[in-house]
Amino acid sequence: MSESRDLILEATGVTKRFGGLTAVGDLDLIIQPQQIASVIGPNGAGKTTFFNCISGFYTPEEGEIRFLGEPIQGLSPDKITARGIARTYQNIHLFAGMTVLENVMVGSHTNLTSTPVGTLLRTPLNAREEDAALARAYELLGYVGLDSVGDWLATNLPYGQQRRLEIARALATDPVLLLLDEPTAGMNPQETENTMHFIQQLRDERDLTILLIEHDMSVVMGISDHVTVLDYGLKISEGTPAHVQNDPLVIEAYLGAAGADDLAADLEIAN
Amino acid sequence: MMTRLQNLYDPVREGVSFGFISGLVVLFLLLAGIPVNLANIGLLLVFVTMFVAGMQFTRRHFGSRGIAFLARNALALGVVAAVLVYLFLALLNRWQMEGIDVRKEYLKGVDHRQTMTVLSGVPVEELRANPAKDPYTGDYPEDAELRTDPMRLTFDRETGLVLKFGLSSKAWLEANLGIGGVYGFLLVLVITALLGAMLTWAAMRVEVGRRRAAFRDRFAGHPVLHWVAMVLPLLFFALLWLTTGHGGNDPVLRFAEENRELQPLLMFGIILFGLIAIRAAEPREWPLPYPARVGIVCGGLVVLALLAVWRITDNEVYLIPTSSDPAGSAGLTTLALLVVVGVLIVQNIQALQDPTRFEWQFAATLSGMLVLLLPLYLDQYGNDILIKVGIYVMMGLGLNIVVGYAGLLDLGYVAFFALGAYSYAFLSSNQQDTESGVASGLKFPGNDEAVIRIAGWLTIALVVTLAVVIAGLYLWRRWQVSRSVATTRQALIIVPQRPSGRVTMLLIVIAISVSALIGAVLDSTEAFQDVFGNASPFLVGLVGGVIAAGLSGIALGVPVLRLRGDYLAIVTLGFGEIIRLLFLNLRDYTGGPEGVLEIPRPVPADAAGQPVSYLVIAYLVLIGAALIAFFSMRLKTSRTGRAWSAMKSDEDIAQSMGVHLVQSKLLAFSIGASFAGIAGVIYAAYQRNIFPENFSLAVSINVLSLVIIGGMGSIPGVIMGAIVLIGMPEVLRELETYRVMALGALLVAMVIVRPEGILPEPPTQLEDKARSLALPSTKPPAERAEESAV
Repeated sequence: MSESRDLILEATGVTKRFGGLTAVGDLDLIIQPQQIASVIGPNGAGKTTFFNCISGFYTPEEGEIRFLGEPIQGLSPDKITARGIARTYQNIHLFAGMTVLENVMVGSHTNLTSTPVGTLLRTPLNAREEDAALARAYELLGYVGLDSVGDWLATNLPYGQQRRLEIARALATDPVLLLLDEPTAGMNPQETENTMHFIQQLRDERDLTILLIEHDMSVVMGISDHVTVLDYGLKISEGTPAHVQNDPLVIEAYLGAAGADDLAADLEIAN
Repeated sequence: MMTRLQNLYDPVREGVSFGFISGLVVLFLLLAGIPVNLANIGLLLVFVTMFVAGMQFTRRHFGSRGIAFLARNALALGVVAAVLVYLFLALLNRWQMEGIDVRKEYLKGVDHRQTMTVLSGVPVEELRANPAKDPYTGDYPEDAELRTDPMRLTFDRETGLVLKFGLSSKAWLEANLGIGGVYGFLLVLVITALLGAMLTWAAMRVEVGRRRAAFRDRFAGHPVLHWVAMVLPLLFFALLWLTTGHGGNDPVLRFAEENRELQPLLMFGIILFGLIAIRAAEPREWPLPYPARVGIVCGGLVVLALLAVWRITDNEVYLIPTSSDPAGSAGLTTLALLVVVGVLIVQNIQALQDPTRFEWQFAATLSGMLVLLLPLYLDQYGNDILIKVGIYVMMGLGLNIVVGYAGLLDLGYVAFFALGAYSYAFLSSNQQDTESGVASGLKFPGNDEAVIRIAGWLTIALVVTLAVVIAGLYLWRRWQVSRSVATTRQALIIVPQRPSGRVTMLLIVIAISVSALIGAVLDSTEAFQDVFGNASPFLVGLVGGVIAAGLSGIALGVPVLRLRGDYLAIVTLGFGEIIRLLFLNLRDYTGGPEGVLEIPRPVPADAAGQPVSYLVIAYLVLIGAALIAFFSMRLKTSRTGRAWSAMKSDEDIAQSMGVHLVQSKLLAFSIGASFAGIAGVIYAAYQRNIFPENFSLAVSINVLSLVIIGGMGSIPGVIMGAIVLIGMPEVLRELETYRVMALGALLVAMVIVRPEGILPEPPTQLEDKARSLALPSTKPPAERAEESAV
């Protein structure tokens, strides 16, 4: 097992079915440390289902998911988070009724040890821990550029800031692997580019491995080390961005058979 | 959500809603049970006008900010009402002078002999005995309606002019506060106006950023306000103290002296004003020197302590009984009081070193002391209400944890209250079987033995558990440290991780078995009897009740873990009923519908003097509620509280952030339940007899309503909710049969006008603290600036 310890994530034969529909079928995926890996595919390709399998919301019917060499499928989401996988959501899910700082502090939950009794007595350990969590949350807010709105209600933030808050909250869980579900959804090209730059920075500065979901493949090409393409729950291609980009199956999946022919014709003309 | 919150903190809305609510209160006070006659129609018109005027006034003038805005809000209803009241009196008297006999109109159809206040000075009995003394005898028919007069008009006997009227001239108000008639009426108005000001003040406090900055800019040049605000209450205290009993000549002071019982209220008003002024002067910008801060807070404390001593010696009410003096010892009581004040002073001297804490400290200490004084100033009836409200505050705070913090709708909350009450009843009731004269049922034989045994076993378990936990954690940590060298992944925050579930289970098993062993060995020994023979049944009952309620909270929690919303509500509803029906039907054990009787008071019965045991319960309630509020407050801003809050917002996402749902839910249920258990034990000790029908569904619904009306998740809100929902029916008692209707309408109005509750929880303010704690930034600011442009 020693070699697979070096892998951050190793999924083999992961299958998830909903009734007769196979949302993810027999998917293999390997993520190396410090990589930015992407899962792309058209809408409904099973990308988010795959994410939910990793983060514990779904239990795959078949296959195995190993994180740092240990199987994690079937564990509850909180246990998986405690092991070092954090995620964000395609539709932003912040805790309504809590402030920005509190939202991030919830992320520190697994790293804190206080119990109600300790809380009541406010033991020195407890107070220190609470202060440390607060300072840490504030530092993370500073990192994503939200340190001036810490006392706002999270749901009052504008859309782009909510996205960054979600990332800060995920970072507060002290993850090894960060799962980002369509982080650029609803952004304009300029914002998208900034976000991608930010993701790269996260990887470099925070010592993270990142798994990214995107349906727009042009977005991830620039920064991904490894791209996996899904269509109808099946992996149709994987490899470096350049390899995937030229795979006819991928082009067909995105543009349909007719579109792929057109593109091929265009390419010929161009050549 | 966003628009809702913006609306929530809109001062205009605050003002209007407040005016609307108080207007409705007054209208209902007026409408119920008043005969339609000239005077009453006039009065109704006055109030409608007042209501509309107050609303217009607040609406028009609430654009500006600062202290003027607050003062206007507070004065809006008070001033307008006062002016209109006197206009109304003038109108009545003008009619009187023009030959319309207002008295006759007013008294038409009312047997005014029932009303002591209508006629000046002649008591009812005297009137009955000697009808000649009544100028209007025979003016009303024999079958005239017999009822109290809600308007309380008071006429001058000579001229027939209307002197005063008031809606709140309850006998006890007059007797205890020395006020009635127009004063009582004005007092009610002033209190509601102050409440309005407090509401807006609270609303302004949470308006972060822009508004606060503007506010500060405007008053930045007025540190003098600050000083005035500080000196004013002190001046008042000093003058009051110097002149009370020394025959001052000033009419204001004479008034104060004649109405000594009004002093706490006056002080409260002045303190409130002081706080508003301090806020205006921003203590951060203009900090008072340290000695002044200490002087002000401690001076206030000393004055309050002196008031208490005076009150205690005046009324010969002593809290702490001794064997030689069962009615209570003056010396001991005073000593206890001085100790409390001393501790507070020492605590304040430390806390006040931070100038920004001054305001908070000042408010907290002084209002805490005022609340502690309250039972001394109330009579038995007042204390009854206080105890009732306090018990509901405790339950409300408990349910607030389950519903307000964790978002789990619990409609069977009364079950835990019942368990607490019955636990104490079982352990302590002195009930005897009337026929045989022997103690009967479970409550009964070997009662004291059970108390002694439980006290002993609990103590042993506590000591052993502490020892096992401390030793176990120490060993575990040593083991952990020696292992951690091999750890590859660095922890986010350098604190020891908690032991794993298996280690915890092991520790628990060890603790239980060791304490069971020691308990079994010691159980029958002489020493055991000697040590625990004098255990107080109340304390044992309290511990037992809390444990019983807490465990049953977990028992309820386990089956409903997967349920949400409506389904959860239905199951908990069933749970509440099951517990009540068990108590009702297990006749052999619980006494069935005949209940459990003769439950002793916390202080043994031989401490004679009813008021003493009353005060003991009142103080128990106050202390219990304060402790529960304190615990709730700490929980709210802790890891546990955040987990609950996250869970309330979205269970799945909370779980994916690492929150253990099962643990969090069970914790919420058991903590909430144990608070109800405390309330139940005190309730049983207070009522002395409990029956299954004391624990009907209505109690659950009442508690839930007070949480919703007060403001879910907000501690001041729950307290306010309990005061309104439990206290208001007592205030509305004058309305007799219409009471329930008026209360219902009031609640409906409140829910429509303020769906968020009376005092909703403002967002926590942590950023300043975070900034002061912040670790050195990991990146140069230039890069950060770039990122924030993302």
